[in-house]
Amino acid sequence: MTVQAARANLREAIFEARSVGLAGILLGVAACWIALPPVATRSVALPILFAFAGAACGAWAVRAGERRVGWGAVAAALLGLVGGVLATQAGEHNLEAVFVWSALLAATLRWATPLTFAAIGGLFSERSGVVNIGLEGMMLMGAFWGIWAADKLGNWILGLVAAAVAGGLLALVHAVFSIHLRADQIVSGTAVNFLALGITGYAFIDIYGDAGTPSGISEIPDIRLGYSDNTPLIGGIAHLNLMIWLSILLVVASFVFLFRTAWGLRLRSVGEHPRAADTVGINVYVVRYAAVILSGMLAALGGAYLSMGQVHSFNQNMTVGRGFIALAALIFGKWRPFGAFGAALLFGFSTALAFQLSNVQAWESSSILFRTIPYVVTLVAVAGVIGRSIPPAAVGRPYKKQ
Amino acid sequence: MSEPEPARPSGGDYAPSPAARLALFQRAGGIVTPLLTAIVAFLIGGLAVLFTGHNPFKVYKAIFLGTGLQWLIPGVGDRELQASNLQQTLLIVTPLILTGLAVAFAFRCGMFNIGGNGQYIVGSMSAAWFGTHFAGLSGVPHVLLAMLAAAIAGAVWAGIAGFLKATVGAHEVITTIMLNWIAYWIGSWAYGLGGPLQDPKQASVPISEDVAPSSFLHVFWGDPLLQGLHIGFFVALGALVAFWIVLNRTTLGYEVRAVGYNPEAARYGGISVARNYFLAMAISGLFAGLAGALDVLGWEHRLNVNDIQGFTVGFVGIAVALLGRNTAVGTFFAALLFGALVSGTSGRHLDASIFRPDLAGNLTSIIQGLVVLFVGADLLIVYLWSIRRRLGFGGRGAEAEATGT
Amino acid sequence: MADDVVLDLRRITKRFPGIVANDTIDFDLRRGEVHALLGENGAGKSTLMNVLYGLYSPDEGEIRLKGAPVRFHSPKDAIEAGIGMVHQHFMLIPVMTVAENVVLGSEPTQGVLLDESKAEATVHELARGFHFNVDPRAKIENITVGQQQRVEIMKALYRKADILILDEPTAVLTPQEATELFEILRTLRREGISIIFISHKLNEVLEIADRISVLRRGKMIDTVSAQGATEEQLAKLMVGRDVLLRVEKAPSNPADALLQVEGLEVDDDRGLPAVRGISFEVRAGEILGIAGVDGNGQSELIDALAGLRHPRDGRVLIGGRDCTATSARRHLDLGLGHIPEDRQRRGLVLEFTLAENIELHDYDKEPVARLGWLRPGVMIERARRLLKEFDVRGGRPTSRAGELSGGNQQKVVLAREIDRDPRVLIAAQPTRGLDVGAIEFVHRRLVEERDEGRAVLLVSLELDEILSLADRILVIYEGRIVGEYGPGATPEELGAAMIGGGRERAA
Repeated sequence: MTVQAARANLREAIFEARSVGLAGILLGVAACWIALPPVATRSVALPILFAFAGAACGAWAVRAGERRVGWGAVAAALLGLVGGVLATQAGEHNLEAVFVWSALLAATLRWATPLTFAAIGGLFSERSGVVNIGLEGMMLMGAFWGIWAADKLGNWILGLVAAAVAGGLLALVHAVFSIHLRADQIVSGTAVNFLALGITGYAFIDIYGDAGTPSGISEIPDIRLGYSDNTPLIGGIAHLNLMIWLSILLVVASFVFLFRTAWGLRLRSVGEHPRAADTVGINVYVVRYAAVILSGMLAALGGAYLSMGQVHSFNQNMTVGRGFIALAALIFGKWRPFGAFGAALLFGFSTALAFQLSNVQAWESSSILFRTIPYVVTLVAVAGVIGRSIPPAAVGRPYKKQ
Repeated sequence: MSEPEPARPSGGDYAPSPAARLALFQRAGGIVTPLLTAIVAFLIGGLAVLFTGHNPFKVYKAIFLGTGLQWLIPGVGDRELQASNLQQTLLIVTPLILTGLAVAFAFRCGMFNIGGNGQYIVGSMSAAWFGTHFAGLSGVPHVLLAMLAAAIAGAVWAGIAGFLKATVGAHEVITTIMLNWIAYWIGSWAYGLGGPLQDPKQASVPISEDVAPSSFLHVFWGDPLLQGLHIGFFVALGALVAFWIVLNRTTLGYEVRAVGYNPEAARYGGISVARNYFLAMAISGLFAGLAGALDVLGWEHRLNVNDIQGFTVGFVGIAVALLGRNTAVGTFFAALLFGALVSGTSGRHLDASIFRPDLAGNLTSIIQGLVVLFVGADLLIVYLWSIRRRLGFGGRGAEAEATGT
Repeated sequence: MADDVVLDLRRITKRFPGIVANDTIDFDLRRGEVHALLGENGAGKSTLMNVLYGLYSPDEGEIRLKGAPVRFHSPKDAIEAGIGMVHQHFMLIPVMTVAENVVLGSEPTQGVLLDESKAEATVHELARGFHFNVDPRAKIENITVGQQQRVEIMKALYRKADILILDEPTAVLTPQEATELFEILRTLRREGISIIFISHKLNEVLEIADRISVLRRGKMIDTVSAQGATEEQLAKLMVGRDVLLRVEKAPSNPADALLQVEGLEVDDDRGLPAVRGISFEVRAGEILGIAGVDGNGQSELIDALAGLRHPRDGRVLIGGRDCTATSARRHLDLGLGHIPEDRQRRGLVLEFTLAENIELHDYDKEPVARLGWLRPGVMIERARRLLKEFDVRGGRPTSRAGELSGGNQQKVVLAREIDRDPRVLIAAQPTRGLDVGAIEFVHRRLVEERDEGRAVLLVSLELDEILSLADRILVIYEGRIVGEYGPGATPEELGAAMIGGGRERAA
């Protein structure tokens, strides 16, 4: 048997185990899902059955060598079992109140969008080798300066432009210190966050004082798809903000750019082995500067969506840690555009669910506690994945041209 | 000249440790660089003030007047007011020393503990709970119990991040920030209306119960009813000494420093890197949690949801530690500086007609950011380091340049 | 072989802080010749080529290409002028494919998108033309080192280089791969490509080169024709004095086995088997040398012996006590000493003082510490004694380790390991990057340790070092021991074994 043929056979085998493992994950999720509306089975048997099947698939996959997917299936099966059984025991009325899928879908997309923008921004920066902890600050800058420009200039498009410029400028600071002055990138990123907090807060109070931002500022428009948003499930996307659609476009565009164009190849090479890129004539500094500034602009757009597209006002520190969740989404998504998007959706879903859970009357006093859910989910995700996620090889190390 | 092979980092090695580079700064800068850094930061802050139509000199003067530091110069102005202001300043310096030490200790082990705020919150909450209950205990044991509880709470809270780093390599920057927000919301819920720890006697106010007087820290300067300075200040000073001793005179400190500078060599030497990551974070959290206890037992005496949501002492601690180059002495002076800044810009002290306090608060954030920014900058330091030979301080040859990081 | 000069470097001088790496060097290259640049480690060969390739700018001197003076500000300029460089440490991106690596920077595009199929086709053609046997779609991390080197050469050829610089190309190759490389070079030479071949290996240089230039300490000593030159003549030019190629030592008197390895299987960082069933023993009073090309499992083997990596199977015994899969600390306690192959990454904490570094294994034991409390006075005393005994220059006990030169740093590591009185001493690449004086010192000490009854395991990539020091020699290939030899082995025998041609053939 030749080496090639042996390798092909092996690949088949792994592929099989992989599919089984993935099926196991789906079964685990299904175990919980069937107990929820609209299926809402009340019998405990079904979730148990699905969970068992999922765990079995997972175990099989582990034995066949696909350890990660296999254990993921087992974990999904366990969680699905717990969730499913709990759901069958919960009051139907409560379940109906919480699990309105169209609302959940819309909310998930709404919460995920700023994360997506920031995570894709972070993707560019980190793929070029520069850690960007300052996404939070860049988001905040975009949130404030975007709505400020929309207010003063009367136009939401100009607001977005201003947001991107503000984010880009802050990113430039981070870039100069990280790339040229070779500062520690995490320290530099943290500094940039403090700066953004101070600058936006200062400007906010100085310009708007106690009254806050006025109402009636030009908003980013929504896109209506023509049908009612009460339609089950797809009603969720009937009436979404423009930025949400743009975020999806952004994910696709970034994938094409990074993996299908020459410039994307060069950017990735700078992040993996800058000296190799240098020796073939690629200007490492320029690529990194461009990537970091772009990351600032994208994160700022995410922040602008928050202030201009979602709540239509600005409050100090309104990003409340979302930039860091975006970073976690990036890592959880293994530095790939669709992976990061998926992770952003997951975190967005957890926030959406947290808010929906406060619809349950019995839990109203605990509703504040639900606000911790997205952070807990992020914590668990990061803990479960980051040790095995391989970043671009040269990320975080300053490049010294001799 | 054959160079050593460029290292390819392993999967979990996301962003290399700053400890060794910061050590270079320590050696290279001495005291000049932190001083310069602070001055430049204030300068740029002043420019920002100027740029927005205020007079930076008046603003800085007003801030300075609020700090009470002029009390140290005898015979000038209203001594009583200055004394009171200085007490306030030192009240703020006290927890800052501790949160600064928290960040510094973690840094020495190569980790960035941004979770000081969350650890402070759980520390305050623990101290508040132990302070409220156990009212039967007499003074000293009660105080010690509450402080111990707070320290342990902070250690556990940071320990979670440390444990995750030690076992699965989760990056502590993200985990500690998540823990910050989790603590924020737990605190908001606990003392909120209808929350489990809310004061039942004040059902419409989101506030905790009052801490029993037997757990108060004794006020030794100023009026206890007007937030005079309590002996917690000496606890903080003691912590500085303990920090130095642990790092430089114990085997644990040796291990922590080795791991911080070079985890691979530490492993080779037989040191358990994972264990030290966990311990260093736990000790770091211990300091931060203790800070919470000192504030609650020293002058706050109760916790309000607004307070919990407004704490920034953990974040200022980062600037303190970095400006102080992660050393005990440096942390003390940096804490003084930032404590004075925070105090001078607070609503109680700053003359609002000259400059709005909340503007000043944001100015503080800007200055903080600038300080942290400059601390990371290599070129400034390397430049100073290289011209020091020209300035006549001597130095070794090429190897020093080549083998320094 | 035409006589026109394609490349002329005149009076090139390059200085770094405290050292003159290149001192008024003249060097010329004729069309279609292989011109070797010979010199010891640190002689300035790589620096000179980095100047040529645009990575450094010369402080003085000029470069003339085909008669016209040129100035290279970056590798891009050099590439455009037709100069290609194959670096010693490959400039290849492991997670990308061969085709992507070759076309990087000059990619074929279709509109906005990268034309992957064209890239692969072009690389395929190139490889076929030179009989390179490399799959354009393979990822660099999955192909052999020899193949990776060919990818590096293809990078240059893709950009139409007619001058090729090879920096220590055989350092990572097996003798057979080296022979294949020489064939490739001869083919290239026939095509009119001029080649600069940098090396410190005398025999290779004599085999492949037409002319040989010798550098020593930054200066060009002489340029000779390869015909008629001898190894001794070249060695003398390189070092400046008669070189003693072997260390004097008395025959060994081995006693009990102090290190025993049985059926050891160890995986590398990626989970692939690196050590596949190795058994051997090292006895007291002998030096066992393990020879092999880099990347055949030596690092993983040493890690397992030191307790830094847990083996998948097999046993390790130190002094008769089983310590398989225990901690590094346990191995140290059982009497293991380990001189690591990378003193700056593993052997020392550069930010610590010399005294602290010396205590790296013993900082928590008496008399240095008691109940967790350190006693710096004791540390400094011990350091003072050792620094004197091992003639460490450039620092006191309270100096930072980072301030010392490489040779002195290695002496500190040696001092620490030897003073602990280990039963077994593992020396991994102990003389890497050291100057001749330091090398002699280390070799002498290792022989002394052996004479005092320690078991010494020497793992080295330098055949000369092994032949000079070892009493017994094992050859490792693809994670297995493929041959055992006595001290009288010849380099040819060992070389053949290093590619798997020994008694035990790799199945």
